[in-house]
Amino acid sequence: MNSDTLNTLDTYSKNKYKYGFVTEIDDEKPKKGLNEDTIKFISLKKKEPVWMLEWRLNAYSKWKKMKEPKWANLSFPEINYQDIYYYSAPKGFDKKPKDLSEVDPKLIETYNKLGIPLEEQKVLAGVAVDVVFDSVSVATTYKGELEKLGIIFCSIGEAIQKHPDIIKKYLGSVIPPGDHSFSALNSAVFTDGSFVYIPEGVKCPMELSTYFRINAENTGQFERTLIIADKGSYVSYLEGCTAPKRDDNQLHAANVELIALEDAEIKYSTVQNWYPGDEDGKGGIYNFVTKRGLCAGKNSKISWTQVETGSAITWKYPSCILKGDNSIGEFYSVAITNNFQQADTGTKMTHIGKNTKSKIISKGISLGKSQNTYRGEVSFLRKAEKARNYTQCDSLLVGNQCGAHTVPYIDSKNNTAVIEHEASTSKINEDQLYYCRQRGLSHEEAVSLIVNGFCKQVLQELPMEFAVEAQKLVSISLEGSVG
Amino acid sequence: MNIQDNYLKNKKNIFFSDNKNIQNYRETLINIFENDRFDKKNNESLKNINLKNFIDFKYKYLIPEETSVINNNQENSYSIVSVNGQCSSFKDDKIEITKILDEDYNDFSKNNTIENNDHFVNLNSLFLNSGFKIVIKKNNNIKIKISNIITDDDLTIFQKNNYICEEGSSLNLIEEYENKNNSTSNILNVIKLEKNSQLNHFLIQDNSPNHNLIITSHSSCKKDSTYTQKVYNFSEGYVRNFHYSELIEANSEVDLQGIFFLKDNNTSNNKTFVKHLAEDCKSNQVYKGILNDRSKATYFSNTHVDQVAQKTEGYQLSKGILLSDNASYFSKPELKIYADDVKCSHGSTIGPIDENAIFYLRSRGMSKIAATKILISSFINEELTSIDNEHMSEIIQKKLVRYLSKVK
Repeated sequence: MNSDTLNTLDTYSKNKYKYGFVTEIDDEKPKKGLNEDTIKFISLKKKEPVWMLEWRLNAYSKWKKMKEPKWANLSFPEINYQDIYYYSAPKGFDKKPKDLSEVDPKLIETYNKLGIPLEEQKVLAGVAVDVVFDSVSVATTYKGELEKLGIIFCSIGEAIQKHPDIIKKYLGSVIPPGDHSFSALNSAVFTDGSFVYIPEGVKCPMELSTYFRINAENTGQFERTLIIADKGSYVSYLEGCTAPKRDDNQLHAANVELIALEDAEIKYSTVQNWYPGDEDGKGGIYNFVTKRGLCAGKNSKISWTQVETGSAITWKYPSCILKGDNSIGEFYSVAITNNFQQADTGTKMTHIGKNTKSKIISKGISLGKSQNTYRGEVSFLRKAEKARNYTQCDSLLVGNQCGAHTVPYIDSKNNTAVIEHEASTSKINEDQLYYCRQRGLSHEEAVSLIVNGFCKQVLQELPMEFAVEAQKLVSISLEGSVG
Repeated sequence: MNIQDNYLKNKKNIFFSDNKNIQNYRETLINIFENDRFDKKNNESLKNINLKNFIDFKYKYLIPEETSVINNNQENSYSIVSVNGQCSSFKDDKIEITKILDEDYNDFSKNNTIENNDHFVNLNSLFLNSGFKIVIKKNNNIKIKISNIITDDDLTIFQKNNYICEEGSSLNLIEEYENKNNSTSNILNVIKLEKNSQLNHFLIQDNSPNHNLIITSHSSCKKDSTYTQKVYNFSEGYVRNFHYSELIEANSEVDLQGIFFLKDNNTSNNKTFVKHLAEDCKSNQVYKGILNDRSKATYFSNTHVDQVAQKTEGYQLSKGILLSDNASYFSKPELKIYADDVKCSHGSTIGPIDENAIFYLRSRGMSKIAATKILISSFINEELTSIDNEHMSEIIQKKLVRYLSKVK
């Protein structure tokens, strides 16, 4: 074993040790509610420098003056921000299920359908495992390889301590803390997240994923991710996983910032499958995510791919600011809503530089009693000469109690820019269904096949290992509401 | 002067001021203005509008000395001149024209659902000072041409018109707005189509730079009826075209089309809103715009399909051509669909004139300006050739030539 492995094992075991004293952790939990003390507590727990605490407090003072954005097509009870724990320490052993037999059998069934290996299942279900050797060793070997290339991939907390210069320069540069109330909230209380820095000219040899990052077990409800791709570099980042995640926290407000410098490319893929609530619409996660990428340099490229199947409420608009000349922004999305889920998702492409291009492909599928909205903005500013946009958003309705909505905002201030938008809404084609049924597929299989075909344009943008799982996920999401 | 003071000061000159119910309704409207204060940030339909003209205006209205004329020049064809929004009463076996009454006003304010947040409609209800009602009697097929004339400068016209097409009737309605003075017209057309009736509505707008025209229509279609609207906006002054339609019974159809030609510092705001509330209905919304110089335009369209409105077909199209660096166009084509057996689509494009097409024409020996003009004409050719009235198509052609002569 090399020293890295030893180190990680060391920290890992120490963590475990700490978790053993459950009562002690309970004492360390801050009180419910949001105030300056909570923020000071978080900052202290994270051993943060003073400037970081000031940054948080500044964001908090902005948040106090702000109201939640109300324009989205969502309805949910008012969030009581004073009734939330803002720093939850990982659960102790005794609260966790001891083995898979104690886990909700429904969850296990889904894992099996997705073909997730047993060991991984344990981690996902939060089973108390002493040390997941496989995962740790895999992670450390990767980490060594990344270090050789000069790539920094660590938690944001670690980065604040080890790389303050980069953090100071970039944190909040794409999503200013005062942007809107959720970004201010996140800036004030974020507890975890990833930090990636790809140095000049380096092509990251593997897909980076939160899953491989050590300590990633509890990503926390206020995640903050910052990815910087320096000149001429490339990185592909995977967020989330296809397995359903149960989480006690109702409110999630993550912020993700991407910065691509000259000739750099960032590919960011998300599969979101948080707990959507039960068939009657009870429970489920409120997911308010702000994701924004800045194509700062010439010829840079940022590509968002997302598969959204979970959460009771999804409020998410991964956007691109195309500042550098010739930069490219892409957005591929599949959003499936079932039962009482509500999704209001889309993108924002702001063309500032010359010859900037953007492409939006969005597929929305609504089932049950759900509401699915695409909301996207494409704007060409005065100097965006010869900019180009193509948008396609299609919606599919299954059942007559759901809703599919399309709300595009199109704004052009340049007369050489070309913008094209098209959208369609329809139900599943009867002829296609008939054909599939005739070939011996059951109704459910046929619908799943057609829906997968409908999403293919987006799913093929996902990295290989994700794509297969995502397809299965799409089929699973349709279950129970077809026929 | 704020809106409330303005209203209280001019109350005497405003229609139905002595009606208690209407007075109460107007007070709630004043409260809405007080609370909202024309909040531009949260109301995108106020984008690009110079609000000062509409909030801080000086109320002035003159009752026309000469009563307007109704000419029955041909059989089934009427020509009406509406002066300062008023029109004399007329009655024969085919149509009936009257002043609007309290009950028409009440009828509208009760059913005013989709325009609740439309400040300009509320202003209209508050300061109402003119308007008329036209009823087309059962199974008649007639043509009406209305010229809207405003006699003096600085008038503020708040007009409500009611059009009712009774069962089986068919109306071809041409409205002209060509005013050269500095007045403001705020017009609301309430259109009701009974069973199996038809209305073809043409609006030609060509006002001078200081004339503001705010025109809103609200149409509701019963079984088997069809409403077609075509708006041609050549105005040099501000124009707001907001058109709301409700398909309330099965198998009805609505078609809202518009073209606008903007130049200089002009602004135009456009909106079409179709609500499908019954099954087997069709809707079509097409707006095209040509923007030159520093002009600005917005177009909002909305197709709302209710849960019961199965077998709906709803189409939207928005196209814009920007001829200058300083022109800007904002479009927001919305679909809100709650029924599953529907065919709905929308498309939206904004861009310059196709360079390849210009190149093709130039390689055939045409100058750049000539090529541009030909391409603009072809862009709206479909809308122009679909006019089945020769006289009208001539008028529109002339106006188009005038607009194109300024294109460089």
